[in-house]
Amino acid sequence: MRKIEEQNSNEVVVDVQNLNVSFGEAHIIHDVSFQVKKGEIIGLFGISGAGKTTIIRVLTCQIKSKNWTGKVLVTDLTPEKKKNHQKILSRIGYVPQLELLNLYFELSPLINIETFASNYGMKKEEAQKVAEELFTILDIAEDTWTNALKKLSGGEKKRVSMAIGLIHSPDVLFLDEPTTGVDANKRYDILNYLKKLNRRLGTTMFVITHDLEAALVCDKTAILREGKLLAFDTPQNLIQTLPSKGLLARLTIEDLTEEMIEIIQEYEHCEKISRVGVSEVEIFLNNFEKNLNYFIDYLLEKNIKIVSMSRDVANFRRFFQILIQEQEEMERKEEKEKENIGRERREGRAIEDEREIEENNAANE
Amino acid sequence: MAKIKIEVKQFFRDQKNSFFRFLRLVKKEFRLVRTDPWNLLIALVLPPAIIALLSTMESQKIEFSPLPVAIVSNDSNSYVNPNNFTNLAIDNYTKPYINAVVKSFYLFPKAIYNASKFPYSMELARRQLLNAEIKCIIVIPVDFTEMLANGLPGLIECVPDSSRITDIQKNLNAVYDSIKIFTNENNLTPQIRLAPFTPFSIPEDYDEDFSSTLVLVIPLMVYGIANVLTILIIVKEKPIARLLLTPVKRSEILLAKYLTFSAILFVQELGIILAAVFGGLFIRGTIINLFIAVYTLAYSGLSVGIFISAASKTKTEANQLFLASFVVIILLSGSFVPIENMPIYLQAISYVLPLSHGGPMISAILSKGASVFGFHFYMLLAVSLVLNILTFIVFLRRRYEV
Ligand SMILES: Nc1ncnc2c1ncn2[C@@H]1O[C@H](COP(=O)(O)OP(=O)(O)OP(=O)(O)O)[C@@H](O)[C@H]1O
Ligand SMILES: [Mg+2]
Repeated sequence: MRKIEEQNSNEVVVDVQNLNVSFGEAHIIHDVSFQVKKGEIIGLFGISGAGKTTIIRVLTCQIKSKNWTGKVLVTDLTPEKKKNHQKILSRIGYVPQLELLNLYFELSPLINIETFASNYGMKKEEAQKVAEELFTILDIAEDTWTNALKKLSGGEKKRVSMAIGLIHSPDVLFLDEPTTGVDANKRYDILNYLKKLNRRLGTTMFVITHDLEAALVCDKTAILREGKLLAFDTPQNLIQTLPSKGLLARLTIEDLTEEMIEIIQEYEHCEKISRVGVSEVEIFLNNFEKNLNYFIDYLLEKNIKIVSMSRDVANFRRFFQILIQEQEEMERKEEKEKENIGRERREGRAIEDEREIEENNAANE
Repeated sequence: MAKIKIEVKQFFRDQKNSFFRFLRLVKKEFRLVRTDPWNLLIALVLPPAIIALLSTMESQKIEFSPLPVAIVSNDSNSYVNPNNFTNLAIDNYTKPYINAVVKSFYLFPKAIYNASKFPYSMELARRQLLNAEIKCIIVIPVDFTEMLANGLPGLIECVPDSSRITDIQKNLNAVYDSIKIFTNENNLTPQIRLAPFTPFSIPEDYDEDFSSTLVLVIPLMVYGIANVLTILIIVKEKPIARLLLTPVKRSEILLAKYLTFSAILFVQELGIILAAVFGGLFIRGTIINLFIAVYTLAYSGLSVGIFISAASKTKTEANQLFLASFVVIILLSGSFVPIENMPIYLQAISYVLPLSHGGPMISAILSKGASVFGFHFYMLLAVSLVLNILTFIVFLRRRYEV
């Protein structure tokens, strides 16, 4: 039975269709749909407040069904029905963001494991055996297994927490910001461990993060902004949607100024330009191969001095930034239109505000 | 010279800066204090409130409520008239004495028994005393009238409620008032004597001070320790949030806490009783009764403690709730001001507080040999049970977020 399941890699573990979440007046999640297949690592990206945690909380039975609508299935069960909660919770694992709030610091890693494992009906010996396996994969030194958890380093605690999330071989493991608050090198470690666990155990993982580096280990990435899902696909596919399939020219320009950027933008085949450093810009051209030479001629013509130039393919970080930027620009435009309508009414108010600010300044002095 | 001037200036400038820095720090402290209004409320409002509470009790004290007593008359000895040698069974002085009791402002005869006719009178009166229906038994001896008629001093015997040591003298004084009225009205020169007969006193081979102190200390200690032990067990356990993301039920988590701490209290109460017995505590009742009483009180302390823990959002809040509740529970327990002397609304509150029942229950077992299964015991159980139910409701609704 189990074997058949494993062969069928198209099995959907998490299915979300038209999810909407509201708390009273606040509409937090708008029409979000996506599917997670068995064995995948899914990254849910978004800046703070986008609603990432809210989505996970729906999937993990933490939000009352009166606050959300849509079709949600986690391991073929909907969290909408209260009677499903225990079943769903027994099939999923959860690695919360903060260890301090979610582990028993006075108890040892093994006892922590045992405490959580017993809730899944696992016997002590059974839990111990699985824990030893997980601890070995996660490189948690054996001499720390029986020490109080508070004596372990931050990274080790995180790994113990991951082991707890996996102790009952869940169908899907949810991780909330697994790399936040961990220093740069350790971040890559954690991502590597996630990949390793995924490969060794075949665990489906659902990672929420605003660490764009995490896309490196994701099979698919979802990008969320203000409760709306802007993109959901493999990182490669997403990058391919950029002009020239993500090909870009990275230029270092002498004495780079905003005016120069405007001049570059005026070039007819320039799709997009973004400043990525003090004197560095990245430029997307349509029909990259053909237009690159003409573009350089254009720069020379406009007296813009290139110090160095390289070709590259955009990474996920760039894709994310461009997508968010585009979205923001679109919204700004919409807002402006709205503003034009109600300007007269607001102008009087604006003057009042200004006077108030002036008065405040005077008072402060 | 100029250099020194600059240095002095610099010195004062530093002092000034330091002073302003200090002022700003003070301001910050006030701001922080303000963010916790509950803390401020306890600090500023609780003490005046306690004093106000006490003042209402004091004013009530002036309106003295008469002491409920039972009179048991054995007065039946025959009187031999020396003139004609007739033998008469007389009790001429019993009625006037009872009248005196009725007249006394300080006494209220709840029951009057004629023991010469009804042999179980004393037993009935004693039961009333155990149940705290009355505060004192006034015993009129067999030869009461005979002695007085012969010009000899009559004796009145008293069996005061000795469960509250501080009250014994008060009870005797009240009885003395009836004797004063009796001697005045019957033109007897004061030849009547009060003979405190205390069948509930502590036998000589026991340490009286130790025993009478423990009567007061045990209830307070048992309740207080059980309370302190449990006020943090829910608020401080942050990982409950994560436990709830496993198939565990909230009720299971809570029940496990009840079971664990009930077991700890079981051992604790055993220890307390063993130490008390070896230390020389006199227990008139049985040890089993005492243990059940002490354990029930401890359980009520645990019930209050877990309730506080489930209802508070932070550890500080739990500590403050504990302090506030503990002060009120002790003040209204009747050990400081007798419950009868409180205004009626405070009596109603004290009625549902654990120590108001735990104290009298334990002292009745220790000093009067009462059985544990009385009104106080059932009240204590009921209060604990209601708290347990409330705790479950509060805990099931408690917000947890990982
Ligand atoms: N119970 C609630 N009631 C009202 N608003 C809520 C509630 N929970 C979340 N929100 C709002 O929903 C929005 C999304 O919150 P959420 O925690 O899902 O963001 P997030 O993407 O996880 O952010 P972060 O990266 O900072 O964790 C926020 O604006 C938050 O204020
Ligand atoms: Mg979040």
